[in-house]
Amino acid sequence: MSNKKKSNTPVMIVMTLLAAAIIGCLAGAMIFMIPSTDDGKDEKAQGVIGKITDNWEDEVSDDNNDQSSRSGTKIPGYSLAVMNEGDLSLKIRIGNPKENTVGFIATVRLEDGTELYKSPMLNPGQGLEEIPLEKTLSKGTYNAEVYYQCVLLNDEQTPLNSAISAFKLYVN
Amino acid sequence: MFTKKIAALSLATFMISATAVTAYAGTLTDQSPSGNTEVIAHIDGVVPGNVSYKISIPDVVDFGTLVQPETQENSNKAVGYQVSLDEVTGLEADKQISVYVKDQNSTLDGNQNFYIANKANNNIQFMYNVFAVPQDNVQTNQPLNSIPYTKTAGYYLTVFENAGETLDGTLVINQAQLYGQSIADIAGDYSGYMVFYSTVENK
Repeated sequence: MSNKKKSNTPVMIVMTLLAAAIIGCLAGAMIFMIPSTDDGKDEKAQGVIGKITDNWEDEVSDDNNDQSSRSGTKIPGYSLAVMNEGDLSLKIRIGNPKENTVGFIATVRLEDGTELYKSPMLNPGQGLEEIPLEKTLSKGTYNAEVYYQCVLLNDEQTPLNSAISAFKLYVN
Repeated sequence: MFTKKIAALSLATFMISATAVTAYAGTLTDQSPSGNTEVIAHIDGVVPGNVSYKISIPDVVDFGTLVQPETQENSNKAVGYQVSLDEVTGLEADKQISVYVKDQNSTLDGNQNFYIANKANNNIQFMYNVFAVPQDNVQTNQPLNSIPYTKTAGYYLTVFENAGETLDGTLVINQAQLYGQSIADIAGDYSGYMVFYSTVENK
């Protein structure tokens, strides 16, 4: 009996080393495959919840197809946003493109009017990358929108035409 | 015995690694979002929460100085406006950016016309029409507001797919509305606000 136990010991050692080597290789491969998150773009996307920055960029794309020299007020548009159930913040880049000459008051809300966030007046070039939410949402897909109320940059904040950018909000 | 154990261990390890790779390589669409942070960060080039397009809208509705006509005959005054798609990224081939427009105070079940109102007295209002065509083509087209809109977004205005696309439209006010009114009552500054609604939709 003790002889049998003794004879199994090298086998167990070999198996343990083999398993450790395989797991190590797999871990290394996974680390190699997962894209780095410390490049500049991802770092910017982190944002600070509710913090309005003065150097906000819409970052739609590279500048190759930028037609921003056209007249009128520039309005950011969105395709989708994602958050988890229970979250009280949402990563969404709301802001006033720097080429504008008017102010924005941005309201993030659901299509049914439920208000999730309302910004103070945003001057051209000001914006947020992540916003605090008035309430969290249950799992599901929502029709949401950013209501950009445009105003003159005067004390009265004289109203101008406004815009709504609709998007899908996925809550996981 | 030794061979069996090695084989079992190898099989178990292979299954674990296969599961991990499948989860990582999952592909998502707009219709099937997932909580997997690594995957949802890139959906067909669209980063959730990022600005994926930028449109330009007119700042104001400005008809300048209106003139009270001497007769009841039509006395139209027209001004142009422009809406354009300045930038876009990650728009899928089967998607488009639709733009709608309505008066700030209009509702789906209520009055859907476009108005400018006296800044000192909102009860004094004059209606104007919105066309999705340049001034030269107004005579041969109907205004958007000739047929009620059925979506809360408002009247369908145009659709964009590529950066640089532009809609040249026209606003027309008939000054005959001023005919017979007391200038003392209606004099003053007027303003009206349009709401432009944009969304990514299927073609």
